[in-house]
Amino acid sequence: MSVETFKYDNRIVRAFAIATVLWGIVGMAAGILIATQLVLPATNLNLQFTTFGRLRPLHTNAVIFAFVGNGMFMGIYYSLQRLCKARMFSDALSWINFWGWNGIIVSAAITLPLGLTTSKEYAELEWPIDIAIALIWVVFCINLFGTIVKRRERHMYVAIWFYISTAVTVAVLHIVNSLEVPVSLFKSYSIYAGVQDALVQWWYGHNAVAFFLTTPYLGMMYYYLPKAADRPVFSYRLSIIHFWSLIFIYIWAGPHHLLYTALPDWAQSLGMVFSVMLVAPSWGGMLNGLLTLRGAWDKVRQDPMLKFMVVAVTAYGMATLEGPTLAIKSVNSLSHYTDWTIAHVHTGALGWNGFLTFSVLYWLFPRMYKTKLWSIKLANYHFWIGLLGMMFYVVPMYASGVTQGLMWKQFNEDGFMQYPNFLEIVIQLLPMHALRAVGGILYLSGLVLMAVNLYRTAKSGKFVPDEEVQVASRAPEAAPAHHGGFTHRWLEAKPLTFTVLSIVAILIGGLVEIVPLYLVKQNVPTISSVKPYSPLELLGRDIYIREGCVGCHSQMVRPFRSETERYGEYSKAGEFVYDHPFLWGSKRTGPDLHRLGGKYPDAWHYNHMDNPRDTSPGSIMPRYSWLLKQTLETTSLPARINALRKVGVPYPAGYENGQAQNDLQAQSLKIVANLKTGSIKAEPTREIIAVVAYLQRLGTDIKAEVKK
Amino acid sequence: MIENVLSRIGGIAGYGLFSICLFFAFFTGLLIWSLRLKKAYLKEMQELPLRDDAEVGPKPSPENHALAKSEK
Repeated sequence: MSVETFKYDNRIVRAFAIATVLWGIVGMAAGILIATQLVLPATNLNLQFTTFGRLRPLHTNAVIFAFVGNGMFMGIYYSLQRLCKARMFSDALSWINFWGWNGIIVSAAITLPLGLTTSKEYAELEWPIDIAIALIWVVFCINLFGTIVKRRERHMYVAIWFYISTAVTVAVLHIVNSLEVPVSLFKSYSIYAGVQDALVQWWYGHNAVAFFLTTPYLGMMYYYLPKAADRPVFSYRLSIIHFWSLIFIYIWAGPHHLLYTALPDWAQSLGMVFSVMLVAPSWGGMLNGLLTLRGAWDKVRQDPMLKFMVVAVTAYGMATLEGPTLAIKSVNSLSHYTDWTIAHVHTGALGWNGFLTFSVLYWLFPRMYKTKLWSIKLANYHFWIGLLGMMFYVVPMYASGVTQGLMWKQFNEDGFMQYPNFLEIVIQLLPMHALRAVGGILYLSGLVLMAVNLYRTAKSGKFVPDEEVQVASRAPEAAPAHHGGFTHRWLEAKPLTFTVLSIVAILIGGLVEIVPLYLVKQNVPTISSVKPYSPLELLGRDIYIREGCVGCHSQMVRPFRSETERYGEYSKAGEFVYDHPFLWGSKRTGPDLHRLGGKYPDAWHYNHMDNPRDTSPGSIMPRYSWLLKQTLETTSLPARINALRKVGVPYPAGYENGQAQNDLQAQSLKIVANLKTGSIKAEPTREIIAVVAYLQRLGTDIKAEVKK
Repeated sequence: MIENVLSRIGGIAGYGLFSICLFFAFFTGLLIWSLRLKKAYLKEMQELPLRDDAEVGPKPSPENHALAKSEK
């Protein structure tokens, strides 16, 4: 048996570790800022770049792709090398992965505040950045599979399966959901419209949670938890069942984000059933993690790393029980669009991803620097402050979510709405929103303590950039004595076969949903009165997208009496056939806007956008006074119409050459005249005119149908 | 609206049924497969991450819990 000497690359692990800490601070600080804006709207400094609608995607992208993304790469690059007993396939690819990924994050941090967004949740970045993401992901995949192929360890441990499923599924999801037609360098339209766009988006959105926030972290749990507890995982058999059933089921569950919407009922039911089934593999994984600690709970008392890990795995269990509960249609009818969803995702983000990242960081630094953790006491303070922060975040959000959902639905004994004024409900929730911001501040403080602790740990030790090890080289004849017949052993020795089977497992669910999706495309009942947006309305819609209005306002009236009483006729699938992208939203901090058209005069909208508190005292909506001053950009109108025509919107041939501009001017002048009757003197070339045109169009097609 | 969509999609009732049958077959196969795995193999795999620094090479620094004890 020959012995090989080689070195593990710790530099790349350290780089990702530092990035995850820094981006964690940035992402959470952005979260605290926007949480504060929901109580004190003036904290946006009345600047468009720091307003809620634009910063909310910055917060979610920073936490998901920057904090968790770098944390994931950190965890994978360290454990993969050790599990494969091989250095990463290519140092150059490792560094392209690091700088490319962080360059993408920097570009997100610049473009999102500028309002350059597709508005699709967690996929907001515009097309050039989407292409960059795909390329960097391919680099990561080559590095991952290259390392697996040249490994010295015969078998692939369970953690590696989770890494493989992450790599292939994220690639599939990202590409399918990002198919868009460019208008300019920083503007594009989704190739899907309305119902199809919604289904693809939430197939992506849900599985981004599954395969970006969950599977890589489960892989990390399966590696770092046994390492820290110094005992093997509770049941390897359970981990096999956990892996295959989790990746098979997860992909089906996306439609639970669209319950009671205009999505066909069969798709909703399918999403609900598979979501409920998802409890089983999720809890199998959680129990496998916690039971690994059987007989070692004394270590949890002493080791802060294990404390963080135990809370992370417990939070995973809580979030994965709550998720399927929220996917039950009757529960969802109360919870959807409320703060309950926000509480749910933060149990996952703060508890599962956050605490697991902290746990791995506390474990890695002393090892990479060959020293002790600088202060165990400080790490314990971090633990308790972080836990308190999490509680202060999620408990008020649960209270807020349930209060909100119940008040929306409450009728009095005479059969009228108890709270017909939406704002009255918003004001009830403000104390809970304030408490949530306090929770965020506590959680971030804990993170800062950790940063100090890790910095001091690094200072007290000496970094080992290349860790030299010697292992026996992999001999082909070294076959095991104990054959298990056609077993996982066979499969694990063949990364390519394993990968193909993983892809098949995730594609089945996707295909069964996507094939009918194309059938739906041909079968969404067309409503003859639904027409493409006029040029002015189209530009207004694009400003609505730019400002991130979808972050607080839905455009989907569900078929409940409490909603039809409050908003009007429920939304029909056929009304959205020209919506590229769809703007149904997932949260109602403000009211639904789908039936807003014609509800108020133009002048009301003008004043409301200038200062919402003038028309709605107590409102927490930010001012959009810049819309009254900025000139509407119309030169790109032909390119926009062209791009939409390419994705199937039936603008007449040549419409963009002249006629569109004439129609735009005529509609602008009409709105200016309307504003004059409300004693408002406005320029027809201002952005606000387009926004008013769009808001007044919303949901009116169906009214024309009813009149007929 | 929903009836309209349903009535025009061919074989819509089959999708739900197909999905559940597919999952049932998949899960049953998976269970049988995993139950047939040999104990020796499972044990070997379980211990794989614990072996990764047990080879020749620099000793890893002590566990945090050991540090905690030593600090007391």
